[in-house]
Amino acid sequence: MVNEMKLKILSILPYAGLALMLAPALAHACAVCWTGDGDPTADAFNWSVLFLMATPYTVVGSIAGWLFYKHRRAAAKPTEEAASQPALHLNWNEEESGR
Amino acid sequence: MAQTSIAKRLDETLVEPKRPGFGGGEPPPGLPQTPIGNNVWLAIVVFLGAEAMFFAGLMGAYIVFRVGAAVWPPPFQPRLPVGVTGVNTVFLLASAATIRVALRAARRGDGTHLVRWLGLTAILGTVFLAVQGYEWLRLIQFGLTVSSSVYGGLFYTLIGFHALHVFGALVWLMVVFTLARRGRYAKDRYLGVQTCAMYWTFVVALWPALYGLVYLY
Repeated sequence: MVNEMKLKILSILPYAGLALMLAPALAHACAVCWTGDGDPTADAFNWSVLFLMATPYTVVGSIAGWLFYKHRRAAAKPTEEAASQPALHLNWNEEESGR
Repeated sequence: MAQTSIAKRLDETLVEPKRPGFGGGEPPPGLPQTPIGNNVWLAIVVFLGAEAMFFAGLMGAYIVFRVGAAVWPPPFQPRLPVGVTGVNTVFLLASAATIRVALRAARRGDGTHLVRWLGLTAILGTVFLAVQGYEWLRLIQFGLTVSSSVYGGLFYTLIGFHALHVFGALVWLMVVFTLARRGRYAKDRYLGVQTCAMYWTFVVALWPALYGLVYLY
Protein backbone atom coordinates (compact mmCIF):
# COMPACT_ATOMS: atom_id res chain seq x y z
CA MET A 1 0.00 0.00 0.00
CA VAL A 2 2.75 2.39 1.02
CA ASN A 3 4.84 1.37 -1.98
CA GLU A 4 1.93 2.14 -4.31
CA MET A 5 1.61 5.62 -2.83
CA LYS A 6 5.32 6.21 -3.27
CA LEU A 7 5.13 5.06 -6.87
CA LYS A 8 2.22 7.44 -7.54
CA ILE A 9 4.09 10.39 -6.05
CA LEU A 10 7.23 9.54 -8.02
CA SER A 11 5.23 9.30 -11.24
CA ILE A 12 3.69 12.75 -10.63
CA LEU A 13 7.03 14.46 -9.90
CA PRO A 14 8.32 14.58 -13.53
CA TYR A 15 5.05 16.21 -14.65
CA ALA A 16 5.24 18.72 -11.84
CA GLY A 17 8.84 19.52 -12.80
CA LEU A 18 7.85 19.94 -16.45
CA ALA A 19 5.00 22.24 -15.47
CA LEU A 20 7.42 24.43 -13.46
CA MET A 21 9.80 24.63 -16.41
CA LEU A 22 7.00 25.60 -18.80
CA ALA A 23 5.53 28.19 -16.47
CA PRO A 24 8.45 29.64 -14.45
CA ALA A 25 6.85 33.05 -14.10
CA LEU A 26 3.99 31.50 -12.17
CA ALA A 27 6.47 29.63 -10.01
CA HIS A 28 8.39 32.86 -9.22
CA ALA A 29 11.55 30.92 -9.98
CA CYS A 30 13.67 34.00 -10.54
CA ALA A 31 13.20 37.54 -9.29
CA VAL A 32 14.77 39.29 -12.28
CA CYS A 33 14.37 36.99 -15.29
CA TRP A 34 10.89 38.29 -16.13
CA THR A 35 11.63 41.98 -15.96
CA GLY A 36 12.26 43.93 -19.14
CA ASP A 37 15.24 46.07 -20.12
CA GLY A 38 15.58 49.16 -17.96
CA ASP A 39 13.27 47.78 -15.31
CA PRO A 40 14.20 49.21 -11.87
CA THR A 41 14.13 45.74 -10.26
CA ALA A 42 16.64 44.38 -12.78
CA ASP A 43 18.84 47.47 -12.36
CA ALA A 44 18.66 47.14 -8.58
CA PHE A 45 19.76 43.51 -8.66
CA ASN A 46 22.49 44.30 -11.19
CA TRP A 47 23.99 47.05 -9.05
CA SER A 48 23.72 44.95 -5.92
CA VAL A 49 25.42 41.99 -7.62
CA LEU A 50 28.20 44.23 -8.95
CA PHE A 51 28.72 45.76 -5.51
CA LEU A 52 28.81 42.39 -3.75
CA MET A 53 31.12 41.00 -6.44
CA ALA A 54 33.58 43.88 -6.09
CA THR A 55 33.69 43.87 -2.27
CA PRO A 56 35.68 40.62 -1.69
CA TYR A 57 38.25 41.70 -4.28
CA THR A 58 38.56 45.08 -2.58
CA VAL A 59 38.89 43.54 0.90
CA VAL A 60 41.39 40.84 -0.09
CA GLY A 61 43.28 43.28 -2.35
CA SER A 62 43.57 45.81 0.47
CA ILE A 63 44.88 43.18 2.92
CA ALA A 64 47.33 41.79 0.33
CA GLY A 65 48.49 45.31 -0.57
CA TRP A 66 49.05 46.18 3.08
CA LEU A 67 50.98 42.94 3.70
CA PHE A 68 53.11 43.61 0.60
CA TYR A 69 53.82 47.15 1.81
CA LYS A 70 54.80 45.87 5.28
CA HIS A 71 56.99 43.16 3.70
CA ARG A 72 58.80 45.71 1.51
CA ARG A 73 59.31 48.00 4.49
CA ALA A 74 60.60 45.15 6.65
CA ALA A 75 62.91 44.02 3.83
CA ALA A 76 64.32 47.52 3.43
CA LYS A 77 64.98 47.98 7.15
CA PRO A 78 68.07 45.73 7.64
CA THR A 79 69.64 47.15 4.47
CA GLU A 80 69.34 50.68 5.83
CA GLU A 81 70.76 49.60 9.16
CA ALA A 82 73.65 47.80 7.48
CA ALA A 83 74.41 50.84 5.33
CA SER A 84 74.62 53.07 8.38
CA GLN A 85 76.98 50.67 10.19
CA PRO A 86 80.73 50.69 9.47
CA ALA A 87 81.98 47.51 7.82
CA LEU A 88 84.73 47.13 10.43
CA HIS A 89 84.98 48.43 13.98
CA LEU A 90 88.59 49.50 14.47
CA ASN A 91 89.20 51.28 17.72
CA TRP A 92 92.49 52.91 18.58
CA ASN A 93 94.01 51.07 21.47
CA GLU A 94 96.90 52.57 23.35
CA GLU A 95 98.23 49.19 24.38
CA GLU A 96 98.25 47.79 20.90
CA SER A 97 99.36 50.93 19.09
CA GLY A 98 102.98 50.34 20.00
CA ARG A 99 103.49 53.97 21.03
CA MET B 1 102.29 39.61 20.68
CA ALA B 2 100.56 42.84 19.80
CA GLN B 3 100.08 41.71 16.19
CA THR B 4 98.45 38.44 17.33
CA SER B 5 96.06 40.33 19.57
CA ILE B 6 95.05 42.69 16.73
CA ALA B 7 94.51 39.76 14.37
CA LYS B 8 92.35 37.99 16.97
CA ARG B 9 90.21 41.09 17.46
CA LEU B 10 89.83 41.54 13.70
CA ASP B 11 88.63 37.93 13.42
CA GLU B 12 86.10 38.50 16.17
CA THR B 13 84.88 41.69 14.52
CA LEU B 14 84.49 40.13 11.10
CA VAL B 15 82.30 37.29 12.38
CA GLU B 16 78.64 38.17 11.67
CA PRO B 17 76.55 38.62 14.79
CA LYS B 18 74.01 35.88 15.51
CA ARG B 19 70.38 36.91 14.98
CA PRO B 20 67.70 35.51 17.25
CA GLY B 21 64.78 33.48 15.85
CA PHE B 22 64.46 31.98 12.37
CA GLY B 23 65.27 28.47 13.57
CA GLY B 24 67.10 26.38 11.00
CA GLY B 25 69.93 28.79 10.34
CA GLU B 26 70.35 32.18 8.78
CA PRO B 27 67.70 33.30 6.27
CA PRO B 28 68.87 33.83 2.70
CA PRO B 29 70.10 37.37 1.96
CA GLY B 30 67.50 39.87 0.85
CA LEU B 31 64.68 38.50 2.99
CA PRO B 32 63.35 40.58 5.89
CA GLN B 33 65.01 39.84 9.23
CA THR B 34 61.93 40.72 11.24
CA PRO B 35 58.37 39.32 10.92
CA ILE B 36 55.96 41.74 9.20
CA GLY B 37 53.24 41.22 11.79
CA ASN B 38 52.14 38.98 14.61
CA ASN B 39 49.28 36.53 15.11
CA VAL B 40 47.02 38.98 16.95
CA TRP B 41 47.49 41.58 14.21
CA LEU B 42 46.67 38.97 11.55
CA ALA B 43 43.59 37.80 13.48
CA ILE B 44 42.28 41.37 13.65
CA VAL B 45 42.87 41.82 9.90
CA VAL B 46 40.90 38.64 9.11
CA PHE B 47 38.15 39.67 11.54
CA LEU B 48 37.89 43.10 9.90
CA GLY B 49 37.68 41.43 6.48
CA ALA B 50 34.74 39.34 7.73
CA GLU B 51 33.13 42.47 9.20
CA ALA B 52 33.52 44.27 5.87
CA MET B 53 31.74 41.41 4.10
CA PHE B 54 28.95 41.47 6.69
CA PHE B 55 28.31 45.16 6.04
CA ALA B 56 28.66 44.61 2.28
CA GLY B 57 25.79 42.10 2.50
CA LEU B 58 23.58 44.61 4.32
CA MET B 59 24.51 47.37 1.86
CA GLY B 60 23.77 45.04 -1.06
CA ALA B 61 20.28 44.42 0.34
CA TYR B 62 19.80 48.18 0.75
CA ILE B 63 20.88 48.80 -2.87
CA VAL B 64 18.28 46.28 -4.13
CA PHE B 65 15.42 48.09 -2.40
CA ARG B 66 16.76 51.60 -2.98
CA VAL B 67 17.47 51.28 -6.72
CA GLY B 68 14.36 49.17 -7.30
CA ALA B 69 12.02 51.69 -5.64
CA ALA B 70 10.19 54.18 -7.86
CA VAL B 71 9.91 56.71 -5.00
CA TRP B 72 12.46 56.96 -2.18
CA PRO B 73 11.87 57.58 0.68
CA PRO B 74 8.42 55.99 0.42
CA PRO B 75 5.42 58.34 0.80
CA PHE B 76 4.36 59.35 4.34
CA GLN B 77 7.74 58.44 5.77
CA PRO B 78 9.91 61.05 7.57
CA ARG B 79 13.09 62.37 5.96
CA LEU B 80 16.41 61.55 7.61
CA PRO B 81 18.33 64.29 9.47
CA VAL B 82 21.08 64.82 6.90
CA GLY B 83 22.56 68.03 8.38
CA VAL B 84 22.87 66.92 12.02
CA THR B 85 24.25 63.55 10.99
CA GLY B 86 26.74 65.33 8.70
CA VAL B 87 28.08 67.30 11.68
CA ASN B 88 28.09 64.07 13.69
CA THR B 89 30.16 62.48 10.91
CA VAL B 90 32.83 65.15 11.46
CA PHE B 91 33.01 64.14 15.16
CA LEU B 92 33.51 60.50 14.22
CA LEU B 93 36.14 61.30 11.58
CA ALA B 94 37.97 63.46 14.13
CA SER B 95 38.06 60.45 16.48
CA ALA B 96 40.01 58.49 13.83
CA ALA B 97 42.64 61.25 13.86
CA THR B 98 42.84 61.33 17.67
CA ILE B 99 43.34 57.58 17.94
CA ARG B 100 46.19 57.78 15.40
CA VAL B 101 47.84 60.41 17.62
CA ALA B 102 47.28 58.11 20.63
CA LEU B 103 48.93 55.24 18.75
CA ARG B 104 51.93 57.42 17.93
CA ALA B 105 52.19 58.32 21.61
CA ALA B 106 52.10 54.60 22.49
CA ARG B 107 54.92 53.94 19.98
CA ARG B 108 56.99 56.66 21.63
CA GLY B 109 56.21 55.25 25.06
CA ASP B 110 54.56 58.53 26.04
CA GLY B 111 51.96 57.35 28.58
CA THR B 112 50.58 60.81 29.44
CA HIS B 113 49.71 61.68 25.85
CA LEU B 114 48.43 58.16 25.21
CA VAL B 115 45.86 58.45 28.01
CA ARG B 116 44.92 62.00 26.95
CA TRP B 117 44.28 61.13 23.27
CA LEU B 118 42.52 57.86 24.09
CA GLY B 119 40.22 59.82 26.40
CA LEU B 120 39.50 62.38 23.70
CA THR B 121 38.72 59.58 21.22
CA ALA B 122 36.30 58.04 23.71
CA ILE B 123 34.57 61.41 24.21
CA LEU B 124 34.17 61.91 20.44
CA GLY B 125 32.79 58.37 20.07
CA THR B 126 30.34 58.94 22.91
CA VAL B 127 29.16 62.22 21.34
CA PHE B 128 28.57 60.40 18.05
CA LEU B 129 26.52 57.68 19.74
CA ALA B 130 24.57 60.17 21.85
CA VAL B 131 23.58 62.28 18.83
CA GLN B 132 22.65 59.13 16.89
CA GLY B 133 20.47 57.95 19.78
CA TYR B 134 18.77 61.34 20.06
CA GLU B 135 18.05 61.39 16.31
CA TRP B 136 16.67 57.86 16.47
CA LEU B 137 14.27 58.87 19.24
CA ARG B 138 13.05 61.78 17.11
CA LEU B 139 12.61 59.53 14.06
CA ILE B 140 10.58 57.04 16.11
CA GLN B 141 8.39 59.92 17.31
CA PHE B 142 7.86 60.91 13.66
CA GLY B 143 6.70 57.37 12.90
CA LEU B 144 9.79 55.74 11.41
CA THR B 145 10.08 52.35 13.07
CA VAL B 146 11.51 48.97 12.07
CA SER B 147 8.05 47.72 11.13
CA SER B 148 6.70 50.93 9.57
CA SER B 149 8.12 50.11 6.11
CA VAL B 150 11.04 48.53 4.26
CA TYR B 151 12.64 51.98 4.46
CA GLY B 152 12.51 51.94 8.28
CA GLY B 153 13.60 48.32 8.49
CA LEU B 154 16.64 48.89 6.28
CA PHE B 155 17.58 52.12 8.03
CA TYR B 156 17.52 50.66 11.54
CA THR B 157 19.25 47.44 10.47
CA LEU B 158 22.11 49.11 8.60
CA ILE B 159 22.66 52.13 10.84
CA GLY B 160 21.79 50.12 13.96
CA PHE B 161 24.46 47.52 13.30
CA HIS B 162 26.99 50.27 12.75
CA ALA B 163 25.99 51.95 16.02
CA LEU B 164 26.33 48.56 17.75
CA HIS B 165 29.86 48.27 16.35
CA VAL B 166 30.73 51.79 17.52
CA PHE B 167 29.42 50.85 20.97
CA GLY B 168 31.56 47.68 20.97
CA ALA B 169 34.59 49.67 19.87
CA LEU B 170 33.89 52.21 22.62
CA VAL B 171 33.82 49.47 25.28
CA TRP B 172 37.13 48.13 23.92
CA LEU B 173 38.55 51.65 23.91
CA MET B 174 37.53 52.16 27.56
CA VAL B 175 39.30 48.93 28.53
CA VAL B 176 42.46 50.10 26.72
CA PHE B 177 42.10 53.55 28.30
CA THR B 178 41.89 52.00 31.81
CA LEU B 179 44.93 49.81 31.14
CA ALA B 180 46.85 52.80 29.76
CA ARG B 181 46.09 54.75 32.93
CA ARG B 182 47.53 51.87 34.93
CA GLY B 183 50.70 52.04 32.84
CA ARG B 184 50.30 48.67 31.14
CA TYR B 185 51.69 49.89 27.81
CA ALA B 186 55.27 50.74 26.97
CA LYS B 187 57.39 51.68 23.96
CA ASP B 188 57.88 48.04 22.96
CA ARG B 189 54.51 46.75 24.32
CA TYR B 190 51.50 48.50 22.79
CA LEU B 191 49.73 45.74 20.84
CA GLY B 192 46.48 46.35 22.77
CA VAL B 193 46.44 49.98 21.64
CA GLN B 194 47.35 49.01 18.08
CA THR B 195 44.56 46.43 17.66
CA CYS B 196 42.00 48.73 19.27
CA ALA B 197 43.09 51.53 16.91
CA MET B 198 42.70 49.18 13.93
CA TYR B 199 39.13 48.29 14.91
CA TRP B 200 38.22 51.89 15.67
CA THR B 201 39.62 53.08 12.33
CA PHE B 202 37.60 50.40 10.54
CA VAL B 203 34.38 51.45 12.26
CA VAL B 204 35.06 55.11 11.43
CA ALA B 205 36.06 54.38 7.81
CA LEU B 206 32.83 52.44 7.32
CA TRP B 207 30.61 55.33 8.36
CA PRO B 208 31.12 57.72 5.38
CA ALA B 209 30.11 54.87 3.03
CA LEU B 210 26.94 54.22 5.07
CA TYR B 211 26.16 57.91 5.43
CA GLY B 212 26.55 58.46 1.68
CA LEU B 213 24.38 55.45 0.83
CA VAL B 214 21.58 55.82 3.38
CA TYR B 215 21.41 59.58 4.00
CA LEU B 216 22.63 61.20 0.77
CA TYR B 217 21.79 58.78 -2.06
